[in-house]
Amino acid sequence: MSTFWSWWVMSLIVLNLSAALFLFWWAPRAKIPTMPDGTSGHVWAHGVLREGVRRLPRWWLLLSAGAFVAGATYLTLYPGFGNHKGTLGWTSHAQLARDVAANNVNLDEMLKRFQMYPVEQLAHDPAAQQMGRVLFDDNCAACHGRAGKGNVLVGAPDLTDNDWLYGGDGKAITSSIHDGRSGVMPPWASLGEDNVKNLAQYVLSLSGSPHDAARAAAAKPLFATCAACHGPDGKGNQALGAPNLTDHIWLHGGSVANIETTIGGGRQGHMPAWSPRLSEDQIRVLAAYVYHFSHADDAGRQ
Amino acid sequence: MAFKHFEAIEKHAGLLGVLIAVFVSIGGLAEITPLFMEAHAVKAPPGVQPYDALRLAGRDIYVREGCYLCHSQMIRALRAETERYGHYSTAAESVYDRPFQWGSKRTGPDLARVGGKYSDQWHVLHMMNPRQVVPQSNMPGYPWLLDKKIDPDLIQAKMRTLRRLGDPYSDAEIAAAPAAVKDKTEMDALIAYLQGLGVKNEPTSMKGTQATDGGAP
Repeated sequence: MSTFWSWWVMSLIVLNLSAALFLFWWAPRAKIPTMPDGTSGHVWAHGVLREGVRRLPRWWLLLSAGAFVAGATYLTLYPGFGNHKGTLGWTSHAQLARDVAANNVNLDEMLKRFQMYPVEQLAHDPAAQQMGRVLFDDNCAACHGRAGKGNVLVGAPDLTDNDWLYGGDGKAITSSIHDGRSGVMPPWASLGEDNVKNLAQYVLSLSGSPHDAARAAAAKPLFATCAACHGPDGKGNQALGAPNLTDHIWLHGGSVANIETTIGGGRQGHMPAWSPRLSEDQIRVLAAYVYHFSHADDAGRQ
Repeated sequence: MAFKHFEAIEKHAGLLGVLIAVFVSIGGLAEITPLFMEAHAVKAPPGVQPYDALRLAGRDIYVREGCYLCHSQMIRALRAETERYGHYSTAAESVYDRPFQWGSKRTGPDLARVGGKYSDQWHVLHMMNPRQVVPQSNMPGYPWLLDKKIDPDLIQAKMRTLRRLGDPYSDAEIAAAPAAVKDKTEMDALIAYLQGLGVKNEPTSMKGTQATDGGAP
């Protein structure tokens, strides 16, 4: 604040407080002309209401005096009186830094312990699970759901089924969270509507789902293009994030219409990178929480 | 001062009202005026740029739809907030917000640093019907945003007005603006605005010291 505005604030505070203080001091001493009946002579409602003359109640005087003392103390200790920083030197930012530091002291020991385990073992640590749940609800649940069941509308995979697009060990999950993932399936509408429909039937046949055998057979040669990512037998490729087409797990929905849309329009599902928002420790705890979804029964073996 | 002065005040309601207003306004003069006047001295820190054409159009959709009634864009300097939302907001980050969207009501979460947290596709689904992605959400859907196009004829006037108020738009930026918003839906614009919120304008002095410190369960 510039010097001018600092003086402005200080003058107004002094003016306000001294005016109020003057009234506080003067009012009990004021000479009030009193009528013989003990009232001030002011009347309302044609004399029905008259104004009595009484001393100020002690509780009121004490409370008001307390307010002056509290105000003066505050303006001395804390910022508020112009550029006066307050004798405590308190700022909200320093308070935040102290709170964060105090919290880190509490967390440090636990996080150090977490760093000693691999993610797979961390998944069975109750403290890590508790911390992971809070982080998951805040950051991941919007797409994967609070139960980790995923959402086919946004192409967010189910995290509980132990079917992994990019690998399901602790390292792969950590990497997915840290750097994010982007689907890169191109659109194949250029093959023609009929071919897209045939391919959809062929894809359904890979998992043994009900399908039109004639259409599937017609698309078999075309699948060579798809095999570049999904593999010749459609088992997928975790290095590319190409889903396995032979299980009954569908990232973007498994109806005929869903699969035709996927082939015709391509899919570019996007998971943001979390490294700008979360610390390495937080990401490992989250990876452990995600790992636990599909390994909840392993606790005994660890 | 004597009792007769008080008698005069007490017996004239108009005078009483005026004097009460004077006394009460002293608080406002001390608390509001200096900040109001000094706000003009806040300069944009490096990295904080005026909104590009599409984001500017999106900002207007944000205001039109009343998003600020449920979403704040101000992270307070409290640990519970900085751990969930990131670095606390500073005045300098909002120099190009006219009007600012700090808000004081959080029915939904704070959006000051929501940019990049979700994918564009998530935002579309969420805006069409929030229950598609967040089953327990009570936010209304905004499906009409997909149907309406941004009017490219208005964007230059908006940018010129903002330039008059001090936003450093160049002539080239203004000339290119209609092409940037042409054939974009209001949904595109709003999502571009949201995806830019809090991106690249974190105060550099304490960058990464809050949001990335170990979070408490």
